Amino acid sequence: MENLVEIRDLCVDFATPRGRVHALRNIDINVKKNRILGVVGESGSGKSTVIWAMLRLLANNGIIEKGEVRYGDDNVLAYSADDLLKFRNEQVSVVFQDPMTSQIPVLNYGQQMADIQYRTGRSSQEKQKVAVDMLRRVGIPDPDSRITQYPHNFSGGMRQRAGIAMALLMRPGLLIADEPTTALDVTMEAQIIHLLRELKDEMSATLIVVSHNLGLIAELCDDVVVLYAGEVLEQGTCEDIFHNPAHPYTRALLECDPARVEEKSRILPVISGEVPNLRQAPQGCVFAARCSNAGPGCSTVRPPDVSLESTHHVRCHLHADVLTGDQRPKDGASGQSASDSTARQSTAEQEALVSIKNLQVRFKTMGAFKALVTKNKTPYVDAVLDVSMDLRKGETLGLVGESGSGKTTFGRTILGLIPAYAGSVTFEGRELIGLPERQFKPLRRDMAMMFQDPIGSLSPRQSVRSLLSEPLEIHGRAGGDTSLDREAERLLDMVQLPRDFLSRYPHELSGGQARRVGVARALALQPKLIIADEPTAGLDVSVQGEILNLMNGLQRDHGLTFLIITHNLPVVRHVSDRLAIMYLGRIVEFGDSEQIFNAPAHPYTEALVHGVPKPDPSKRRELISIEGEVPSLANRPSGCEFHARCKYATDRCRSEAPQPTVAADGRAVSCHFPLTTT
Amino acid sequence: MSVNPSDTSATGAGAADAPQTAHSETRDKLIVFMKNTQGMLGLFLVIAFFASAIFAPFFATHDPFAMDIPARMSGPTAEHWLGTDQLGRDTYTRVLYGGRVALQVAMIGVSVSLVVGLLLGTLAGYGPRWLDSILLLLFDSVRSFPTIVMALAAVALLGPSLELVLAIVIVTTIPGYARLARTATMSLRNSEFITAERSLGASMWLILRRHLIPNVIGPLLILAAMDVPVVVTVEAGLSFLGLGVLPPTASWGTVLNEGYLVIRDTPWPVIAGGIPLVLTTLGFTFLGEALRDTFDPRLNRGR
Repeated sequence: MENLVEIRDLCVDFATPRGRVHALRNIDINVKKNRILGVVGESGSGKSTVIWAMLRLLANNGIIEKGEVRYGDDNVLAYSADDLLKFRNEQVSVVFQDPMTSQIPVLNYGQQMADIQYRTGRSSQEKQKVAVDMLRRVGIPDPDSRITQYPHNFSGGMRQRAGIAMALLMRPGLLIADEPTTALDVTMEAQIIHLLRELKDEMSATLIVVSHNLGLIAELCDDVVVLYAGEVLEQGTCEDIFHNPAHPYTRALLECDPARVEEKSRILPVISGEVPNLRQAPQGCVFAARCSNAGPGCSTVRPPDVSLESTHHVRCHLHADVLTGDQRPKDGASGQSASDSTARQSTAEQEALVSIKNLQVRFKTMGAFKALVTKNKTPYVDAVLDVSMDLRKGETLGLVGESGSGKTTFGRTILGLIPAYAGSVTFEGRELIGLPERQFKPLRRDMAMMFQDPIGSLSPRQSVRSLLSEPLEIHGRAGGDTSLDREAERLLDMVQLPRDFLSRYPHELSGGQARRVGVARALALQPKLIIADEPTAGLDVSVQGEILNLMNGLQRDHGLTFLIITHNLPVVRHVSDRLAIMYLGRIVEFGDSEQIFNAPAHPYTEALVHGVPKPDPSKRRELISIEGEVPSLANRPSGCEFHARCKYATDRCRSEAPQPTVAADGRAVSCHFPLTTT
Repeated sequence: MSVNPSDTSATGAGAADAPQTAHSETRDKLIVFMKNTQGMLGLFLVIAFFASAIFAPFFATHDPFAMDIPARMSGPTAEHWLGTDQLGRDTYTRVLYGGRVALQVAMIGVSVSLVVGLLLGTLAGYGPRWLDSILLLLFDSVRSFPTIVMALAAVALLGPSLELVLAIVIVTTIPGYARLARTATMSLRNSEFITAERSLGASMWLILRRHLIPNVIGPLLILAAMDVPVVVTVEAGLSFLGLGVLPPTASWGTVLNEGYLVIRDTPWPVIAGGIPLVLTTLGFTFLGEALRDTFDPRLNRGR
């Protein structure tokens, strides 16, 4: 098959004050024409660097040491400045991760899309027409009027669609998508994946998709390149990689993906260790330090690129015969997976630690005067509406919903960080709503929160030592007390971080390490309840498992109660006892997590369960399970609020709001036609 | 005021048992700073300014008030290195002593307004809405007065003095710091780490002291370094107009003022009074910019 792009022996360094970082070393990648190539790797693997090096858009301190990037007959790295502009405008386009920051906020889409066509010499009417056609093609309704709108007028999914339209406007031979769905919800992600596949077939374009999300790669791509620490470890067709992975890293990575673990398991597989420091180029295999198969020779001798089949290449001593005897790596299963034998006792008979009744959180959208003038009868939105639930002692409750469903607001309201409008929250029988901060403070010992952004939730100018001792100081231990240091060390031990981390600062931590510090901080006061907001967001797949295992172990040892807030249903399923599904501030389904996951009763739950793409190319979804986007809270749909996106909706759903009903298995569902009974 | 690089290296050496990362972090910054030629020049000028002002009696060749009538309005000679003024006072000595006034005004004025501005600004940014409105009204009222008009009014009421110059400098520069601190605080107040502190039960004062001020002070320090020359020129300007330091006390402004009257006879007092003003201004500006480049990673252009 013909190659559109060939990357040969590409080496990229970054110059930093502390020496050179060898970010890419001897990269060879073939991009085949009319196929979708997935570039997969964890953060720090250099997957974005490959893309920026190809486009010659590296940061100023990035140096292309050697290599070539052949596009057709040309070497992109040898292009003059003019050639480069032409190449970027006409031959290649990029769909960026975050459409909000990659689109120009002060120009409307019509202007932005006309600018892209400046080299074509079309008249402005023609440019406008081409732009409108393209917007229609990517599924933006009513493109004639929407083209005059600005990025902030579009919702997240629409914005990404517009981003794809802009990228395709010049009919490029090569389309590069850098984490195209990372900023989107699962239901939007499925829509974007299908759109990209359709467009690729229709426009006979070639795609490179960069992602850390194995499910996305499996669902979208034809060929896959696995990058690790700046080297290509494995390269092959999607089936090769996902059904017959040859490199231990690929195998471990696949095992780690929670969506791939079919059986519910309390302990998730992980890859221990960290990505190596690339200041010194490693001598042997880059993965040797973390590889469970590694033999003595692996860390000193660089493995060659072995060709298993014509399409399948792997860089591993397992498949080469450079090493002999004892030096060889051990064959066999990677042994990364672990099973959980400790059965958990049922928490069903436990009493409630927190009990929430008809909680409602209302945000004002305009002042009282403006509402009077504009005759707006509802100058507010209800982010959380009529939520009642009990959190039992020692259980893990997963709260799942898309962004904008009110799940974060709900969690923060329990802790009194956001005032409630109505309803009640009791903690061990004490009413929390309306409690002044002075009286709330002693209760804060018993409830802690883990925040979404692992690094951003740590005060940037504080060392880990003071971050860990601060909760104790706030609750009455004197600062400067030497016992505080011991306490901080004990907390670090609990989250399995080395003690010399005490003098580090948040920006010196990786995402996973910062998350551990966050866990330690939450544990500092020995709370009874921990509310974890997206505990795995922003973490690599291999680290996600570690954090969840850690939380799980701490729960077992300390009898903690967890409320885990997340959009990622497959992840939370493994660790929760019960699940609550939230949509537009309401709980639409609530019950035992396995029952819900295996047989969702609410159509929305079904969409979430099937929304996450499976890392298995033979299980590609044919139909999009859910259409449209989350409606605005300002105008809630009538009747069942999900009816506009529900494929089972009837007239009754449009007019009459369903009441939560408790099914025989103890599940509460707000749906007229629950899927399990029909 | 400014971050003294010799200080940072001293703490780095003292904390030899500290782990490598924290240590080399400081050293990285130091290396970045040292490579900045403009910054090093600025640092040199600033140190020279401090040294000459503090040790003025030591460097001086004459008494600043001693008159040498026969040699009045002379050019540079072996006796009077930078010439003399219309009363025969040694210009070099007077400029040295003038630096003391400039230093006093700059250091006291800038540091007081930095501290007050920082406190008021973070309070306005993090505190209740009504406090923010009141403080903003206050800042904007002060800023709406031209400095010179305000100084004229104050002098008319209280008579010229060094203290008054200081007070005017402080009052007029506070809003700048407060505004900057307020904006920085507002962008931080809803960030996750502040919410995290609130969830732990941290009081407003603790959040202000430990988590907001350390994060907003950086740009303020740089503004302060760049404000020093402004303050020095304000003092010189007011003294030049006769609203500040009173003759016969030497200040760069009074030296300029007196030299200006006799500029047709001798240009030396004006030259000698102007050059240190220019050098100090340049020095602090260079230093401020270099500090900003070093400590604001967003501006780090991959050097």
